[in-house]
Amino acid sequence: MYIHSASSFIGAENADVNFLKEKLRCYTDEYFRRVNRFILLTMLGARQCIHNHALDFDTAIYLTTEHGNLGETASVLDEIYAARSLPKPFGFINTMSNTAAFYLARNLGVRGRNIMVSSQHLSFERGLELMQVDFALGATGNALIGGVDEALLSRTALEEQTSRVFRMVNGSGWLYVKPVKDGACGVISEIRSFSDGPACINWMRERRGSHIDVVSFGALIDDDEAAAMKEILHPVAEFDYLREYGYSSSATACGVGLFIMLFQGKTMLHINRDQRGHFAVIEIERY
Amino acid sequence: MTCSLGDSLEEIIDAVRHKRIKIDRIPFTLASLPYSKPYYLIQRNVTDKLHNRSEQYFYEVLFSAVSRALLNAGLNRTETKDMNVFFGSTSMDVPVFEGNHRKSSSTVSGMFLQSSYGYGKIAGAILEKFGIEGNCYSFATACTSSANALLYAAAMIEEGLIERALVVGYDLFNNLGFYGFEALKSIAETYYRPFDRMRDGLILGEACGAVILEGKRRNTGDFMHLGGANLCDTYSVTSHDEEGFAVAETMNRALRQAGIPPGDICAVKAHATGTENNDRTECAAMRVTFGCEMPPVTCVKPFIGHTVGACGVNELILFTESVKTGFIPSTPGFREMDDKLNLTPLTENMEAGEGIFMLNYFGFGGNCTTLILSNKGEGE
Repeated sequence: MYIHSASSFIGAENADVNFLKEKLRCYTDEYFRRVNRFILLTMLGARQCIHNHALDFDTAIYLTTEHGNLGETASVLDEIYAARSLPKPFGFINTMSNTAAFYLARNLGVRGRNIMVSSQHLSFERGLELMQVDFALGATGNALIGGVDEALLSRTALEEQTSRVFRMVNGSGWLYVKPVKDGACGVISEIRSFSDGPACINWMRERRGSHIDVVSFGALIDDDEAAAMKEILHPVAEFDYLREYGYSSSATACGVGLFIMLFQGKTMLHINRDQRGHFAVIEIERY
Repeated sequence: MTCSLGDSLEEIIDAVRHKRIKIDRIPFTLASLPYSKPYYLIQRNVTDKLHNRSEQYFYEVLFSAVSRALLNAGLNRTETKDMNVFFGSTSMDVPVFEGNHRKSSSTVSGMFLQSSYGYGKIAGAILEKFGIEGNCYSFATACTSSANALLYAAAMIEEGLIERALVVGYDLFNNLGFYGFEALKSIAETYYRPFDRMRDGLILGEACGAVILEGKRRNTGDFMHLGGANLCDTYSVTSHDEEGFAVAETMNRALRQAGIPPGDICAVKAHATGTENNDRTECAAMRVTFGCEMPPVTCVKPFIGHTVGACGVNELILFTESVKTGFIPSTPGFREMDDKLNLTPLTENMEAGEGIFMLNYFGFGGNCTTLILSNKGEGE
């Protein structure tokens, strides 16, 4: 799966909807009326990613998220329980997070697969696995895959899992992926899952791939685990995108996008884990 | 599977065979509206009463369905441990939250944002409860959620990436959905009658179903997934293009992936929500796909209601288990053909044996999913 472009939109936690709409005008003339922060973040990251690319009609969209439109869901619950009224129709429709992927598909004029998937702390990795299967079966030609989450919703979920403290941000990271190498800026050379840390470390010891220039770690990897992995991989550098750019529940997607766009080095191994202690790695090679 | 017809497959299929349907009516008390609307509630015993439901209840319904699926499949501990879980739901943990909220005076949205840990929470609870160590995928694509869970579970098995999968469709009653669909003016007054000239909307229902997928048949008569497709119809966020071209393209791609011509389809389980737009779009799409060789069409929502994101798995169970016992279910509630649709679904049960079947699912956000299933013996 070859990466043809990447993006990472990272915004301040308190950025309001009008600010996001204004930013989006840089990429599209379409005016969005009944949309919320999550939908706008989705649009912003994805439009940045495909800014100068003409998309095939059949392009697929894989939207990964931990919390999706739960912000809007909270508002609609308030309409029912606190205001004691029926919710506004479009508010209710927007509680379904795939509306973000729909608005994106319509804005881009594409009609391929349209999937929204989530998995605690490993949503982006799981989305990549689904995309990989579609590529293998020929069900998808070109694809946009992204991870999108709001800062507010990310905070609670993270605080339950780790004592590490990050600056919370709104995050929307995207990759435009094709099965062909021609014109690509990189490749996703590995997506792999492990049921525990030792299995992941064994794989690192035994892997026969090229040297890893850069490593990066997800939010739940602790210092000892990171040190052990660096000891095996001997990277030239660590890309600590969480410290530099802040955390959202879709930080992995943003981190991968940032590596492609900004960071030095030819290859990056991103290592992540969930609250169960399952690990997942993504290896990216930049051309 | 647990639904308004009970939690025993034998009882559920017997009810389907004999068109025994249970519909309740629920008032819109919270909004002080002076009327009620029909709903297919789970009502096995007193714990199912809406006012008795607490957080524990929602997990018990979920774990019970999963437990029965594991038992029915005869999986040993190792086979269970290594499974991947594919979960589809529209409401995810909203019913759990609402159950808790009944016992609290906190502000709603603040409490929700504090207590919801995202879309992966419910599926994560399955892993923990059953000691499953595989990967977990929670699909949230509105009414196609668990259909897409099935599609990807089957694809991963076909690719040899996993040996087996647990696929769950889970949507239990929640005020968010009930009041939301009423706000859209989508809920029928009394009767559920998809494709009927007098149809006046959908009736929601609740269900939790679980299926185990494997690469090989364990028993004669087990269904195989031959192929499937998912596309996005960008016509409108709430409805599909009434010409039905995007929906037809989904059906055609599923057929191509399955490697069969439209003429090989023995029957179609339509999505058939009973709304004006869905039924018109779906009929138009079936005409594009099948031309004048339309196979028998059935709609199973009148038995258990529209179980939204859970309908992928639960309607698959209802349909395939009916076929296993020798019949394709009729469409209760259908009385009079709509000339604009020019389609009469099965009004009586049809005898069924081996064959290839199409199952259609559509949802908000233009999501369209078609699955092609077969119960034909190997080599046929």
